[in-house]
Amino acid sequence: MRRTVVLLVIASVALGIAGFAAAQAPRALVVQTGTEPPGLDLTATPASATAGVVLYNIQECLVKVDAHGKIVPWLAERWHTSDNRNYTFFLKKGVRFHNGRELKAADVKFVIERAMNPETKHPYPQYYAAIGDIIVKDDYTITFSLKSPTANFLLNLARQGSVIYPREAVETLKSAPVGTGPFTLGEWVRGDRIVLKRNPDYHVKGLPKLEQVTYRFIPDPNAALAALKAGDIDASLFGLGPEHVADLKKDGRFDVTIGETTNDVILAMNNSRKPFSDVRVRRAVTYAINKPDVVKLAMFGLGRVIGSTVDPLNPYFVDLAGAMPYDPARAKKLLAEAGYPNGFEAVLKVAPQYYYTVRSGEVIVDQLAKVGVKVRIEQIEWGQWLSRVWKEADYDLTIIGHAEAWDIANYANPKYYFRYDSAKFQELFQKSEVTLDDKARREQYVQMQKMLVDDAPAVFLFIHPRLVVAKKGVTGFWKDLPIPSSDLSEVGWSAAK
Amino acid sequence: MKRYVLRRVAAFAVTLLFVSALVFVVVRVLPGDPAALILGTEQNPETVARLRRSLGLDRPLVVQYAEWLSGAVRGDLGTSIQYDVPVGRLIVSRLPVTLPLTLLAGALMVAVALPLGVYAATRYRRTADYVAMIVSQLGIAVPSFWSGLLLILFFSVHLGWFRSGGFEGWSAGLWPGVRSLLLPAVALGFFQAAVLVRATRSAVLEVMREDFVRTARAKGLPERRVITLHTLRNALIPIITVVGLQLGQLMAGSIVLESVFALPGLGRLALVAINARDLPVVQGVTLFVAASIVSINFAVDLAYAFVDPRIKYDA
Repeated sequence: MRRTVVLLVIASVALGIAGFAAAQAPRALVVQTGTEPPGLDLTATPASATAGVVLYNIQECLVKVDAHGKIVPWLAERWHTSDNRNYTFFLKKGVRFHNGRELKAADVKFVIERAMNPETKHPYPQYYAAIGDIIVKDDYTITFSLKSPTANFLLNLARQGSVIYPREAVETLKSAPVGTGPFTLGEWVRGDRIVLKRNPDYHVKGLPKLEQVTYRFIPDPNAALAALKAGDIDASLFGLGPEHVADLKKDGRFDVTIGETTNDVILAMNNSRKPFSDVRVRRAVTYAINKPDVVKLAMFGLGRVIGSTVDPLNPYFVDLAGAMPYDPARAKKLLAEAGYPNGFEAVLKVAPQYYYTVRSGEVIVDQLAKVGVKVRIEQIEWGQWLSRVWKEADYDLTIIGHAEAWDIANYANPKYYFRYDSAKFQELFQKSEVTLDDKARREQYVQMQKMLVDDAPAVFLFIHPRLVVAKKGVTGFWKDLPIPSSDLSEVGWSAAK
Repeated sequence: MKRYVLRRVAAFAVTLLFVSALVFVVVRVLPGDPAALILGTEQNPETVARLRRSLGLDRPLVVQYAEWLSGAVRGDLGTSIQYDVPVGRLIVSRLPVTLPLTLLAGALMVAVALPLGVYAATRYRRTADYVAMIVSQLGIAVPSFWSGLLLILFFSVHLGWFRSGGFEGWSAGLWPGVRSLLLPAVALGFFQAAVLVRATRSAVLEVMREDFVRTARAKGLPERRVITLHTLRNALIPIITVVGLQLGQLMAGSIVLESVFALPGLGRLALVAINARDLPVVQGVTLFVAASIVSINFAVDLAYAFVDPRIKYDA
């Protein structure tokens, strides 16, 4: 009896190990993600964890932001406007939803009107505020008339809140979204994984390359690293930290890709609170911070130093990284002029949920101490950060990354938590919103970026890097991240696994 | 016995009521609004207000609690804000991970700690005793998340015997399920075993000084019988008490380990829910864990009467 039991145990161990090795099909990919989406309805949550799974994989938009940040035709094969008020979109014919029905212009009208309806609790109603009327001309032609020219209108139609779904599937968006994307939702095992299956009727020929994608939720970065090294996952898209890069680069089994994102990490100062209400103090703080050192010490050298809020993936980006270089002597002089020859004390509130905030904070505290500014770090939980810092602006200093693309608008909002209130900047921004001439608009963006350097409402530190680690042979990931999506349609294995 | 059980059931209900009220108030007093967290940094006051209204968060606290309580009594713990799934179903879906994990860790703990504790007691102040005490001290000092990571590094990354984390589900078979839970159970059980070794050792040592043990030895009973029949049996009461307390702690410990091993268990659910201020889930899970711990204590009390016939609950 005892021997039988022992044999059974040994056999089942062997079978289990063998079974695991054979479990993965050659055209399947397992990717790690740190956060489980709080739901899969992009019309109800702004969560980037949701966009990372759904956007451009399960659901798509009329137009798309491509890997290089360019707006390209997608479900609409082209569009036309003669006056920048009326946009006519011509839908691609023969595009089918995952439920088999063809996409028609009426679906687009339904989706956008639903987004505009305040009762539906869409997270970004402001994207559609300028739309006056939506007219369906025929099944494949639809016209949007705008109340006023809106420079970002096309961009807004490419963003995560603008995904197109069939009206009959509106009830199941949160748990079983239907779209036109390269993948369909296979299963969602809450707490463990989401499995996407290839859409055989995808409207782009030859895509997707993979039969199946599994997103495994592994919250702990060290556990994610172990899973990668043990071969349990094929790629990590968001989960690893810069501290893992040096080790992984040496490991011949993996490819490490480091790219740009739209996530600008800043040290925000409360512009409505003394002493930060004085521009000389804000400039002094900026001069006192050695940004390259922050990147070196807190980010293991990964991350691009910036001088203003606009990220390098934005077409209007101007490199101002050197506009206010590290100069402690000048910082001290400015502090003395502002009436603080011996510096002052302040509290830096950070949310450890975002690792880089605490790490950068520790370096900055040390740097500011050298010019006499004594900063104490207070770590608070994310929920508290949102209510105390973000909502009530109850803070002196804070560090956070602003991941949203085109978020310069925040500086034109005097109620935003920086409390930066410049009538000149606000006027310039309003003008840029209705300027459609590219050259003129670029000029306005350059001016705005320079104003942000001069007024120093925050210290613009660095761009958080995109970090993709994948087994050798996996190709097709976007290098940069111009929009919070992880488009996997072109990802595949270069050789048989 | 009947009256005793009735009394315990009443105490059970009062405990749960108290716990639920406490959790209800605490999660609402904490700064951080579920609606604001859902909408993140893209929110504006109107969208937040609308979401709060639709979640029923704009009503007075007492009304919210009364409504929740009347649902809970009928077995309806509400709907998760985050997942849009009934809380009861969420909890049930996580039990196939947490329950076996806790039981496996508990079984490992007892299987390791009991013999080791008894052995250390019989070798009192000899080398084996010191070694056992040093090892258990180490076990107490090493946090389970760290030993969990070490186990992953050695058994998954280095040897490749186990998956580094995740849970395939019991549908894949008994062994794949057990294999996913073995490393976390070892990490969890080892820490608690270290505590139990010490408790067992001192309980056994105490009994070994009793007169009846000396009598048993004087009678010429073999030492093995003296220890198992006479000593251990009488030392069991304090040991069972500690085991009962530890089972509760194992459930709490799984919160951390489920994150390290990416297991979709109750602990992970609670952690994510707290961070997202998913109030119905936090309440539901807390209530469930409280109910489990109170039930374990009840079972421990009944076990006393079983091990020691002198204890009766009739009076």
